[in-house]
Amino acid sequence: MNHKNALTPWLFIGPAVLLLIMFSLLPILVSLLISFTDIDLIGLGNWDMVEFVAFENFIALFQDPLFHRSIFNTLVYVSIGVPLVIICSLSVALMLNYMSNKLFSFFRVLFYVPSITNIVAIAVVWGFLYNMDVGLFNFIINSLGLQNVPWLEHPFMAKISLIILAVWKGIGINMLIYLAALQSIPRSFYEAADIDGANKFQKLRYITIPSLSYATFFVTVTTLIGWLQFFEEPFVMTGGGPLDGTMSMALFIYERGFQYNEFGYAAAASLILFIFIIVATLIQFTFNKSKEN
Amino acid sequence: MKFKKGLSMAAGVSLIVAAGCGNDNNAADGGNGEENNGGNNGETTTLSVWAMGEEGNALGSFVESFENEHENIEVNVQAIPWDNAHDSLLTAVASGDGPDVLQLGTTWVAEFAGAGAFLDLSDYEDDYDMINNDDFFEGALDTTYYNDAIYGVPWYVDTRVLFYRTDILEEHGYEEPPQNWEEMLEVSRELADRGDGMFGFDIDQNDQLVPPIFAWQNGWEFNEEEAEENFADPAFREAMDYYHTYFAEGLVQETEGVPIEQGFEEGSKPMFTSGPWMINIIRNEAPDIDGDWDVAMFPGNERNASAIGGSHLSVFAKTENPEEALEFISYMSEPETQIEWFKETNTLPARQSAWDDEELQQDEKLAVFGDQLEEAVAPPVLSQWENIAQDLLSSLERINRGGADLDEELDNFQQQAANRLD
Repeated sequence: MNHKNALTPWLFIGPAVLLLIMFSLLPILVSLLISFTDIDLIGLGNWDMVEFVAFENFIALFQDPLFHRSIFNTLVYVSIGVPLVIICSLSVALMLNYMSNKLFSFFRVLFYVPSITNIVAIAVVWGFLYNMDVGLFNFIINSLGLQNVPWLEHPFMAKISLIILAVWKGIGINMLIYLAALQSIPRSFYEAADIDGANKFQKLRYITIPSLSYATFFVTVTTLIGWLQFFEEPFVMTGGGPLDGTMSMALFIYERGFQYNEFGYAAAASLILFIFIIVATLIQFTFNKSKEN
Repeated sequence: MKFKKGLSMAAGVSLIVAAGCGNDNNAADGGNGEENNGGNNGETTTLSVWAMGEEGNALGSFVESFENEHENIEVNVQAIPWDNAHDSLLTAVASGDGPDVLQLGTTWVAEFAGAGAFLDLSDYEDDYDMINNDDFFEGALDTTYYNDAIYGVPWYVDTRVLFYRTDILEEHGYEEPPQNWEEMLEVSRELADRGDGMFGFDIDQNDQLVPPIFAWQNGWEFNEEEAEENFADPAFREAMDYYHTYFAEGLVQETEGVPIEQGFEEGSKPMFTSGPWMINIIRNEAPDIDGDWDVAMFPGNERNASAIGGSHLSVFAKTENPEEALEFISYMSEPETQIEWFKETNTLPARQSAWDDEELQQDEKLAVFGDQLEEAVAPPVLSQWENIAQDLLSSLERINRGGADLDEELDNFQQQAANRLD
């Protein structure tokens, strides 16, 4: 490379790096800084009122029962929701990949629609479906002669209800990723297996699933990050209730920050969530690497 | 404004920030302005006004008459949906870039005044008659004060009253609505006894104002100097027990259930409390029960107290046109304007003399609101109040639904309040 072109690579990556610094790195740095202060609405208007409080926010967080609750709830969401999304979207993709006529493309659209539907519209409709006294779900359950289910009225059941909703909403996009991966598996693998006399299950077990490992890794990482930041569903459906049973970490941060204006406290909480996500992702990367080796 | 928040939250999230500008009256105005140029040395000040929700939509055309009176002031109204109002104000405070005049929900005074968002109007008290005028309802004036300063002029008010089904109460031998706690419980028990899925009363468990209203009804008063000790007051504890009674005995529905308009129409929830906006909602959505329902004072124990809400008009601290802003607020708070504004939007005038108007006098349902407003108490103007009220709701939820012990839980709540107020 000669002298004249030394600048060229910088010019190419410049815009992207600049945007990244301005809208990603800088905000993260700022929130890191303010998590060590007591900044609130008053401080926002007048910076002289902001005080450095060292680790006080973090100490308060570790003593805040609502924050504990939100961590617990988030872990429940993640540990039930993520495997469920992966299993469901993989099964749907496998079934849709079975054939490729008009009916199957119609179903493909059908499964994808929930992920592009506005969450507020979904919340209104599902809110009625889940209604304990007049909802459709309980109407069906009642006509089967069973007891009413407290869909959104019981702290644990409400978590499950939100998970069902989020899985239903999350299948579409992951199914699409799996479908693309399925279609890129070379036909010759299956032909070879046919010659060897492998049955359907063996083909699935020894060809399809191993070939999908990259897609699975990608889906797991993105889904896990998404579910750790579980926010929209409890925000529009339950507001964190009943008895804080659906309060997630992201919702906790939002409420502290934007409802009660405790910006410093919320920033501290979001830093903890940030660490959670980084750790979870790192574990997956190392796990994936050791598997490859 | 907490009142309408829950109601419109779901719808509001999807709302695009509709900054609907209401000044489609430019043409008429321009003409007038030119004519008077000679008298007014030609300078026109543009006054930017933020108004929220329905009021914002109506204000745009309403200000025409003000502009006609003041040739040198042009009013530019921006309508802000309630759901975006808090964020918009926050941004204005942070950037220092806001309107000249803004509508302010009474529950937000402490929060934003503490941040120095508004001009202290006490400096202008001698020049402008409407500042600190005792013609306004006392409860409305109370929420304009914060830290010995005055941060707004009441614009309109609202308060909760009891809505009840006259026909159902009559069927069970009650010719009159309940007058006090005892009768309230008696009627509720009788009506809840009608069968499965039938209730006597309705309490919105997300409504921050109901618990303090019950406490005020029991003669409780919040005294700032006593801080968390306020919540040890037997009058307060008794009121919370009263709140709990409705849930413990199944007199109100604990789960979400049907929307209250529907429950009221079906008769499964024959009594509830709400504000003036509910009158039109019921008239429109439940025309079948027209004539079979009425409103009455919120029955209390020591007194028939209720909460006062509504909005003030405040001047933004960084405004460049304080005089014009005050001129505008002065116009909006004149009794005649208040009556006009009531006819336009159905919001209740904050000025007591406006209530002498015939139309307000003749409407019996409105008269109840007028009486209730005289007994209405304002929530404490305290920046921690929102947090405390929310804590109280959580504690009550734990008592009602989580089976926690009332006294123990309220002791915890008191401890929490102590930390907040510290």
